[in-house]
Amino acid sequence: MIVGITIITVSILVNQVTKETFSKNNPGLDAVVGAKGSPLQLILSSIHHIDIPTGNISYKNARKIIKHPAIKSAIPISLGDNFQNFRIVGTNKSFLELYKANLISGTAWSQPMQAVIGYNVSKITKLKINKFFVGSHGLVDTGDVHAEQPYKVVGVLKKTGTILDNLILTSLDSVWNLHSVTNKDKLEITSLLLKYKNKTSSFSFPRLINKGTNMQAASPSFEISKLLKLTGNAHRIVDYLSVLITILSFLGILFTLLNNINERKYDLAVLRTLGFSRWKLFSIILSEGMIISILGSTIGLMFGYIVCESMYYFSIVGRSFELGQLSFLNDLLLIWIIVNIIAFITCLVPCIKVYKQNIRSTLLNS
Amino acid sequence: MLTCENISFDIDGQKLFSNISLNIQPRKDLLITGPSGVGKTTLLSILCGIQKPTTGKITYNSIDLYNLPENKIDEFRGKNLGVVFQNFNLINTFTVKQNLEIVVSATDTKKSIPFFNILDRVGLANKSHIKVANLSIGEKQRLAVARAFVGDPKWVFCDEPTSSLDDKNADIIANLIKDESLRCKASLVLITHDNRIQSLINFSKILKLGDEL
Repeated sequence: MIVGITIITVSILVNQVTKETFSKNNPGLDAVVGAKGSPLQLILSSIHHIDIPTGNISYKNARKIIKHPAIKSAIPISLGDNFQNFRIVGTNKSFLELYKANLISGTAWSQPMQAVIGYNVSKITKLKINKFFVGSHGLVDTGDVHAEQPYKVVGVLKKTGTILDNLILTSLDSVWNLHSVTNKDKLEITSLLLKYKNKTSSFSFPRLINKGTNMQAASPSFEISKLLKLTGNAHRIVDYLSVLITILSFLGILFTLLNNINERKYDLAVLRTLGFSRWKLFSIILSEGMIISILGSTIGLMFGYIVCESMYYFSIVGRSFELGQLSFLNDLLLIWIIVNIIAFITCLVPCIKVYKQNIRSTLLNS
Repeated sequence: MLTCENISFDIDGQKLFSNISLNIQPRKDLLITGPSGVGKTTLLSILCGIQKPTTGKITYNSIDLYNLPENKIDEFRGKNLGVVFQNFNLINTFTVKQNLEIVVSATDTKKSIPFFNILDRVGLANKSHIKVANLSIGEKQRLAVARAFVGDPKWVFCDEPTSSLDDKNADIIANLIKDESLRCKASLVLITHDNRIQSLINFSKILKLGDEL
C-alpha cells in the first residue's frame, strides 16, 4: 500500500509540477532563434535553462531578425558561464520586463560586470547587494573561474516562481568582455527570444529562418508539448505500475484480514459467547482493515511528497521547479479518498464472513 | 424466571430431543443429566442463546430470547448470562486478567469490576498477567468459572465443569460454582455426572433427557 501510493504520488507531483513549471517559465514567447541543432534543446536551454545550447549565432544576423517587420519584440540572451550552478545570462533589460520582474533591493545593471540575481540565487548562495562573485566557465560548476573579472551584485529580484528566480542576469557586454570579444562583427549570442506582431507569422517566420539562414527558429509551445507527450507515455507506464502495486496491496489487506479472522475464528466465536454482537465484531474487523489502509495511504502520500521534495532539492535541474502548490493537492486527495473507498469495500469481504459466522459450529470444530 | 416451552431440536431431519418444557424460578437450580449424545450440551446452547431451537420458545422474565434480533441475543447473553463451557473456551493469547476484562468490553459496562477480588477467590490472583496458554487444566477451569461470574449474571450455565479435573480440582471448582452462584444470587443450570456437585448443590429440578421431568 505504502509503495503503491508513494509511486502514484511521485508520478502525479512530477507530472503536474513539470507541466506547471514549463508553462510558467514561458512568458508568452512565440519563437526562439538560435544555432541549428535540436529545436527542443534550443527551447530547453534558452527558456527553461535545463539543457546546453545548440551553439551561438552571430549578433549581426540576430540584429537583422530584431528589425524584421513580423517581430514585435526580440530579446537576445548569451549563455556560457555559471556561479555555483546558477546560470549567468547576458541579456538586456527587456528580459526583466518580459518576466514582469521586480527588485527587492538595488537596481538593474547599468554597466558591464554588474549583475542582478534571482531570488533563489540570493537565498542559496547568500549573495547580497555590493558583493562580488566570479563566474565559472560552462553551465555547471567546474571550478574553472574567471577570477580576473568578478561580477558585482547590484540588484536582487523578488520571487517570481519562474526560472528567473534561478538566474543571474547581466548585460551582454559583460559576457562579451569576459570572453575578450572586441571585434563588433564577431560578437555572438546564444539565442533570441521572440514575440510576433501577428500570430499568423508562426507559420511563415520559422520557415524563413530555417530555410534561408544558418539559424533555426523553434516554437516553445510546440516543442514542449512534444516533450510532454513523450514523457507522458513514461508517466502512464509508471501510473499503470503504481495502480498494479496498489491493487496488490488491496489484495494484501484482503488476504491478511481473511487469514487473521481464519486464525482467530475461535477467539471471535468466544467473543460472541461473551456478548460481543455480530455488528461489534464486524466493526472491529472493519476498523483493523481501515486503519491499515488509512495509515498506508497517508504514509504513502507523505513519502511521495518527501521523495519529490528531495529530488527537487538535490538536483540542479530541480531548482527550476516549485513544490507546495495547492493545485495538485486536490488530485492527491481524490486518489487518497478513492484508495480508501476501495479498501473499505475490500474489507467488507472478511467482515461479512465474521458476521455470518456460526458460533456453535466454530466452537465445536475448534 | 427462565421458561422453556416445547423445545425441540433436529439435526439433518433427525430429532435430537423434543417438547422439553420447564421453568426455573429465581435462585433455583436445574441439573441436566443423561447419557452421552442425547443433546445435553445442545440444550444448554439453546438455553443461553447460542443455538436456535428447531421449535419452541425460551423466555427470560418475559423476554422471548429467540424473538430478539441476533445482535440483541448476543448483548442479552453478555449482560445477563454466564457460561462455563466444557472445553473452557478461553482466549489463549490473552492473559488471565484480559480474559475477564474482555467480558466488560463486550457489554460496554461502565461499572468498575474488582478483578483482583474475583481472581483471589478462584486462586489466580498471583497469575493475573500469565497467558492462558501457560495455565494448567485446573487453573483454566477456575478462570472459566471466574469469567462466567464476573458480570454478576442472573443465570449461569455450566457444561460438565469438573469432567476433566482430578478430585482435588473438582472439589475446588464445585465449591467455587456454589459460592459464586450464592454471591451473585444466580440460578444455576448444570450438566454434570459428578456426584460431588450433585451433593453439594441443592438442585430444585433435575432434567434427565429422554425421561420425564
